[in-house]
Amino acid sequence: MDVDTIRESFDRVAEKQVQYATRSQEVINQLIKEIELTITNLQETNSDQSTILAQLKTKIDEITPLAQFEGCQKELNLAIARYTKLLEKTFTTDISKAYRDVEMDIPTINEIIASHFYRQGQFEIGDRFSSEAQVSESDILKSPFLEMHSILQSMKLSHDLGPALAWVAENREKLLQYGSSLELKLHELQYVEMLKAGKRVEALKYARTHLAPLANEHRAEIQKVFACLLWEDRLDQSPYGDLSSPSHWEELATEMVRQFCGLMGQPFESPLAVTLAAGAEGLPTLLKLAAVMQAKKQEWQEMKQLPVPLDLPKEYQFHSVFVCPVLREQGSEENPPMLMPCGHVLSRQSILKLSKNSTRAFKCPYCPQEGTVAQCRQLYF
Amino acid sequence: MDMVIDPPVAAAEGGASVTSSNNNGGGEEQRKKKKTPVTEILKLELQLLRVPVEHLKKSLRSSQRTAEKDLSAVLADISSVTASPTVAAVPPVSSLTSLVCRLHGIKRKLEESSSAEAAQVQRCRARIEHLEEFVPHPYCECNSNWNNTRLNRVILDYMLRMSYYDSATLLADSANIQELVDIDVFVEAREVVESLQNKKVAPALTWCAENKSRLKKTKSKLEFLLRLQEFIEMVKANDYLRAIAYARKYLAPWGPTYTKELQRVTATLAFKSGTNCSTYKVLFDVCRWDFLVEEFKQEFCKLFGMTLVPLLQIYLQAGLSALKTPSCPQGSCPKEDPLSQAGFMRLAEPLPFSKQHHSKLVCFITKELMDTENPPLVLPNGYVYSTKALEEMAKNNDGKITCPRTGIECNFSDLVKAFIS
Repeated sequence: MDVDTIRESFDRVAEKQVQYATRSQEVINQLIKEIELTITNLQETNSDQSTILAQLKTKIDEITPLAQFEGCQKELNLAIARYTKLLEKTFTTDISKAYRDVEMDIPTINEIIASHFYRQGQFEIGDRFSSEAQVSESDILKSPFLEMHSILQSMKLSHDLGPALAWVAENREKLLQYGSSLELKLHELQYVEMLKAGKRVEALKYARTHLAPLANEHRAEIQKVFACLLWEDRLDQSPYGDLSSPSHWEELATEMVRQFCGLMGQPFESPLAVTLAAGAEGLPTLLKLAAVMQAKKQEWQEMKQLPVPLDLPKEYQFHSVFVCPVLREQGSEENPPMLMPCGHVLSRQSILKLSKNSTRAFKCPYCPQEGTVAQCRQLYF
Repeated sequence: MDMVIDPPVAAAEGGASVTSSNNNGGGEEQRKKKKTPVTEILKLELQLLRVPVEHLKKSLRSSQRTAEKDLSAVLADISSVTASPTVAAVPPVSSLTSLVCRLHGIKRKLEESSSAEAAQVQRCRARIEHLEEFVPHPYCECNSNWNNTRLNRVILDYMLRMSYYDSATLLADSANIQELVDIDVFVEAREVVESLQNKKVAPALTWCAENKSRLKKTKSKLEFLLRLQEFIEMVKANDYLRAIAYARKYLAPWGPTYTKELQRVTATLAFKSGTNCSTYKVLFDVCRWDFLVEEFKQEFCKLFGMTLVPLLQIYLQAGLSALKTPSCPQGSCPKEDPLSQAGFMRLAEPLPFSKQHHSKLVCFITKELMDTENPPLVLPNGYVYSTKALEEMAKNNDGKITCPRTGIECNFSDLVKAFIS
């Protein structure tokens, strides 16, 4: 089924709606015309009133106004009914069937939404929402992102790298710890912009002050930067044209956000966006499962683990999940993965079972090598 | 220093998901007949398409009925004029002139409703077009825009249901999704909800009358509950005679359907509002009004083909279940995982986690999958990282490995391979 089919069915509805609109206007116009004609006739001619009026009656009966209306309305309503039926056939009838009747704490949800808006820089909406939804301590949610977005705004709107450079200088050590070359890239961009503006002397001075100290760690990059001098204001014709392109600005802005969030201990992508997208991926399977389990409502509400996997694309795999090949259970704190001397990995419970509670040596299920419990090491993914 | 001139560098790749992707290049293609299949994800969007259609049906029902009524009246009057002109009290010409005026009136009304209906048709169309823009996985870049719009739509649906109308309007305007959301439909609900919150049933009753036939089809209890509340308010005000008369007129017809409840409520006449008897005290409680608001919202959503639970909660629950693993509560989730956030973990607590059939291991350093092409290596302290990450580290550090999480040092040669199926 394509969206095209839906669109075609709806095109018919639209068509009939237009038909109804025009036809109904036409019919009324016809009636008005006939009556006005009759009025003129009555006023101007000498013919008998009854005849003129009888003529009007015949004319109106010919037009069959009510039938016209009803006809068009019927066609329109039929087209709509067909379209609605098509929708019900194509789309999932009720996506709330998989919804569990658990308490979803509204204040928590509201906090999450407010945070999301602040993270995206939509402060006005965030504030309005916080006041309407009575989100407590919205200032605390807001503050980390205020600084980030004001730096971003300077970069994006006025191409002013000042605030960004100030922030980078303040957090230099932490950034180096993370191995980020953000400071270098920002200085580079500033230098390139100066060159483009033709301020060669200033650019050189700038490079000496800010870029030279970084030369040890980033030799190749610094060489590139000084080579730019050869092209000056014709940088776009040089091999280094991309250094001043708008997309480079965008890249740096993204890098800035990434580092800022990282230093704050915040995720880069909005967690609300990620969760909702994951939900959309997993919901079809959940709905199928709910339909199958319809008879066992109690079990559905209380289950701790879904009986089927919800296969998400790999972007949603954030941390390791170990599944013991023997017991087919997920690893947890009580039952961690253990490395056997042969290199295969089983859960601790499987190993205890195989070794009859640490009393004997056991053979690995995957290879002929034997081992004891003492030789196994816990793994940390 | 040797000067090395680089060869021309390829154009930098477009920005990541923070910036919006430019769809102009794809515009032409979209204008040609693009085949977008209705994938599983699109199938979830029934509400998106149904609500404007239901709204259209509703408008048509009332405008068609009015037009027919008015037109029939005019035609009937024409018949009486043409039938017996001489007997008529008013001369034919003036009758006919006034009839023409009325016809003009009908015409105007039809024009207004037609343009309203055309606008609703346009909304239906805009939503179909929005679905056509969906590109299924793995073409993720295009999807960022679509996913973002969906996120905004879902948040907006939540705002409307929770009656945060100002935020909703602001969001719709800033995200430019006015045609994809149902603010206009909820405007209708707003008046009723606010009046119920002010303890007035009249607008709600009007709404019930307007939608009588649909509510009857779904066997709705709403009108009965509203009448009950009015009765209770009268009893509270000690207006007994009025209450009894009211009950006779408005509650009696519901007797056969909801006998027990009716009996219980009418007994409040005897107990009065100050009663301490719990069965009856609860009936006088102010929170019954909140219950009425919820009941109304449910009927309203049902009528328009909306889910009874906000979309946000449906998607959130599904997402939390999909992302949750048994190791999550330990707080070992990397910060990119939504479940590392306290709020999300709280919401996920009562939800089941997803089953996994096979191990999926993610390297702590590179965040890449550790599989047969990039197998996991084990340090002497049991910590595991991917071969790629450890080889890179060894290369840059003369063969030495430092565990990023524990700081322990060892040599690359001390590492052991792990075999995970």
